[in-house]
Amino acid sequence: MSDKHKPQPMVDEISDFEVLETAVRELAIEKGLFSAEDHRRWTEYVHTLGPVPAARLVAKAWLDPEYKKLAVKDGVKASLAVGVDWINSPPTGFGTPSDYCNLRVLEDTPKLKHVVVCTLCSCYPRPILGQSPEWYRTPNYRRRLVRWPRQVLAEFGLQLPPDVEIRVADSNQKTRYIVLPVRPAGTEGWTEDQLAEIVTRDCLIGVAVPKPGVTTNEKRPVRPAVHPVHHDH
Amino acid sequence: MDTSNRKDRGSTGPWHGTDTTPIALLETIRRRGRVWEELAAQYGVRNPDPPWKITLDATCDMLAAESCVVPYDQVEPGSCALPSLERRAEEDDLSETIYADVPFPERQLLALAHSMIKRGLFKEEELAQRMKQVHERLTSA
Repeated sequence: MSDKHKPQPMVDEISDFEVLETAVRELAIEKGLFSAEDHRRWTEYVHTLGPVPAARLVAKAWLDPEYKKLAVKDGVKASLAVGVDWINSPPTGFGTPSDYCNLRVLEDTPKLKHVVVCTLCSCYPRPILGQSPEWYRTPNYRRRLVRWPRQVLAEFGLQLPPDVEIRVADSNQKTRYIVLPVRPAGTEGWTEDQLAEIVTRDCLIGVAVPKPGVTTNEKRPVRPAVHPVHHDH
Repeated sequence: MDTSNRKDRGSTGPWHGTDTTPIALLETIRRRGRVWEELAAQYGVRNPDPPWKITLDATCDMLAAESCVVPYDQVEPGSCALPSLERRAEEDDLSETIYADVPFPERQLLALAHSMIKRGLFKEEELAQRMKQVHERLTSA
């Protein structure tokens, strides 16, 4: 067997958490809360999701001014060009054009930076961006970003000059956002593939900006909230 | 805070907040269970998420049904087993209290099981019995 086809290492141990996950799922199916078939179909769909289509949307928009106009005007329509059909792809029928399928593409400029949050829970444009990272789900990020966006972005390593306005977009069940960052200097003549590589998940959420040579997300420490949440409703 | 569009109208009845009273079975798992970051380090696996993470997310989505994509106050009563916003609020509360020392996504899983037991979607004893069966099955080969 060549190195290329070497199997990936496996965890040869069944953890209590793995057993718990299976048991919860099986009981839910047994109780009729959902069907095994629906669960299987949804899992297969979720397996296909990731940030690549959103990165490609941005790269295309950088290269094609007409496509950029379309993306900013109608994110759902623009998504079709990168293989994401918000209306017909989810296999359970979740979402209609009037609710889930409202993707907004927020265009940054040199003087305007967008950043995305979901203050209520963790709404996220999963069909085009995959699963949300852990830090995005935390009350710490969700509460503090809307209060101190400049400082929180600085914690992510994104220091913005005082004359750059920051707009925080708050996602909800109906409307999801991705950020269309400014194309960085040093990418002149690049192909769509090259450009898409530097549009990381964090750039699409807005906590980072694309940089030539940077193709992965920084590992972020997750800090607990100083004041625990008290849901008073 | 304006709560008119929030958690005062659950699709499974009024939501009364999070019951953070520990559940013995889940406490045992919390104390004894080996989390993915330990296992991945021990076995040299680089995948940041355990293999069960995707099925856990799908379970949460299935339980939430249309409440994932419909504003909370428009969720039809009885249309889902566990509304998305309530599950996430409970996960937040539990993650900052009794499961504060558990990493993600293990605490998401514990919080889900906790919420389901507290809502009577299944009983702690049923879950314990099913876990025993699943464990025997997974380790029987």
